[in-house]
Amino acid sequence: MSNFGLLFKGEMVRLLKYKIIQISFAMTLIWLLVIFLIGSEQAATFVPIFIFTDAALMTVLLVGASLFYEKQENTLKTLMITPSGLMAIISSKVLSAIYLALQSTIIIALFSMILFDVEIRFFWLISFVVVIAFTHTAIGYTFSVFAKDFNELIAQVGMYMIFFAMPTLFYALGVFSEAFETVLMFSPTHSALLMINYAFEADVRGILLLIGTIYLMVAPIFLFKYIIIPKYPETAVKD
Amino acid sequence: MEKVFEVKDLRFTYKKNRIEAVKGISFEVRKGEIFGLLGPSGAGKSTTQKILTKLFKDYHGEIMYLGKDLQSYSNDYYEELGVGFELPVHFSKLTGLENMKFFSQLYRNKNDIDDLLKKVGLYEDRNRMVAEYSKGMKMRLNFVRALLNNPKLLFLDEVTNGLDPKNARIIKDLIREFKEAGGTVFLSTHLMNDVEELCDRVAFIRGGEIVEISTPRELKIRYGKRELKVEYFDNGKTKEAIFELDGIGKNQAFLELINTHEIETMHSGETSLDDIFIEVTGEVGNV
Ligand SMILES: Nc1ncnc2c1ncn2[C@@H]1O[C@H](COP(=O)(O)OP(=O)(O)OP(=O)(O)O)[C@@H](O)[C@H]1O
Ligand SMILES: [Mg+2]
Repeated sequence: MSNFGLLFKGEMVRLLKYKIIQISFAMTLIWLLVIFLIGSEQAATFVPIFIFTDAALMTVLLVGASLFYEKQENTLKTLMITPSGLMAIISSKVLSAIYLALQSTIIIALFSMILFDVEIRFFWLISFVVVIAFTHTAIGYTFSVFAKDFNELIAQVGMYMIFFAMPTLFYALGVFSEAFETVLMFSPTHSALLMINYAFEADVRGILLLIGTIYLMVAPIFLFKYIIIPKYPETAVKD
Repeated sequence: MEKVFEVKDLRFTYKKNRIEAVKGISFEVRKGEIFGLLGPSGAGKSTTQKILTKLFKDYHGEIMYLGKDLQSYSNDYYEELGVGFELPVHFSKLTGLENMKFFSQLYRNKNDIDDLLKKVGLYEDRNRMVAEYSKGMKMRLNFVRALLNNPKLLFLDEVTNGLDPKNARIIKDLIREFKEAGGTVFLSTHLMNDVEELCDRVAFIRGGEIVEISTPRELKIRYGKRELKVEYFDNGKTKEAIFELDGIGKNQAFLELINTHEIETMHSGETSLDDIFIEVTGEVGNV
């Protein structure tokens, strides 16, 4: 992994040059404005959902979009013929995606804490966002290595939202009964929201939190090991 | 002669569409030579290059690199390898120089980037974003990219693609320079011109199969016809006659023609490799 540091630095430089960091920052400002407009009473309900959207769904989209963009530039291919190694190449990309999720989380969390006295277990929030972003980079990559083109990727993300993210959002808004939650644990999205809620000092069943956290840490390892790493070269090399 | 590659019965099938792109080809690449893989579009040139550069690993057959199975090499293989791709491979929102610096640091061996950029005529534009480069400029940057680690072995896929004659000349000179410094080159192309000017040996590939391996010179001798084409005036019209060049001084028909008619033009012609390309592959090559 001798090139990991260099590759990660390269990813970060490109996040700036391609203005991804700036766009992500602008998105965060929009969230902040929305939080500001809905006021302090509602903030405690909505801030976790915003952070969840950013760390989970935005990560999937961003990872997928940047992979397709880089494929178009053929830069994935030219990295493959350097002595860097697949692990270093992929981990540098994963880490930069996690960085982006952290950036907006930290800004939104600090803003809500200072302005609205939203109570946050800061350590847990950061740790959980890292795990959630990690899982969702894996999901984004899994979609990308199967998608033939960008439209197909968008369609997959859309399906994912409908089947995994929507039920969780409905649950969060109180549409489903609590008994439904055990079923929902199969959805990475749901585990993610559970973790974020815990970080916002919500009442969360400890056992579900533990299962969710382990699930989100282990599932991506399987996705990387058995799907992404074996299929990535083919995706990277294709013209 | 030391062998860089020894390829035996190489086969490769694209899983997705089950296209067998390479159908059992065998050849060797010798140290210090420029080996050309020549064939029409879709023949399997790029596929072969991707296999030899370890981008595709699930091939059948045997590939020995410097006497050892290619599969047994670690990523260090890439330290010795320069790869020029068929299409531009740069971060478009970084400058040419930023691109080269980024890739250069990933290798232990380093070439002089400024010097390379100067040689291909991109030094003045080094601080412009690649997005603003023309196709030819991007292809020249591809060439610089391939040489960043001072490789021993250079793979070039359609290296003169999109270059004007002047720049094509510059790149060809640099390839020859690379060879003279002891490097080995594997060059895929559908351009006869490249082969004729650069290659020591050439393999014709068609439909995933090698139909002929030879030297450009040998091919010309084997397939070539040396002829003399004469255009002359006869009854107020221009007519044309073709004679064997060998023994022309004793060719009565020819001698009589030039004695009795007004000659307009005379051209001696050797069959170009282009004609041979058509003959061997059954397809028209572009020059
Ligand atoms: N990624 C791919 N997936 C499926 N089939 C492919 C892929 N790339 C190439 N092929 C097929 O494999 C065959 C050989 O293609 P290849 O790109 O090696 O040809 P080539 O000789 O380099 O052609 P060109 O001169 O046009 O670059 C073609 O039939 C092509 O359709
Ligand atoms: Mg090709």
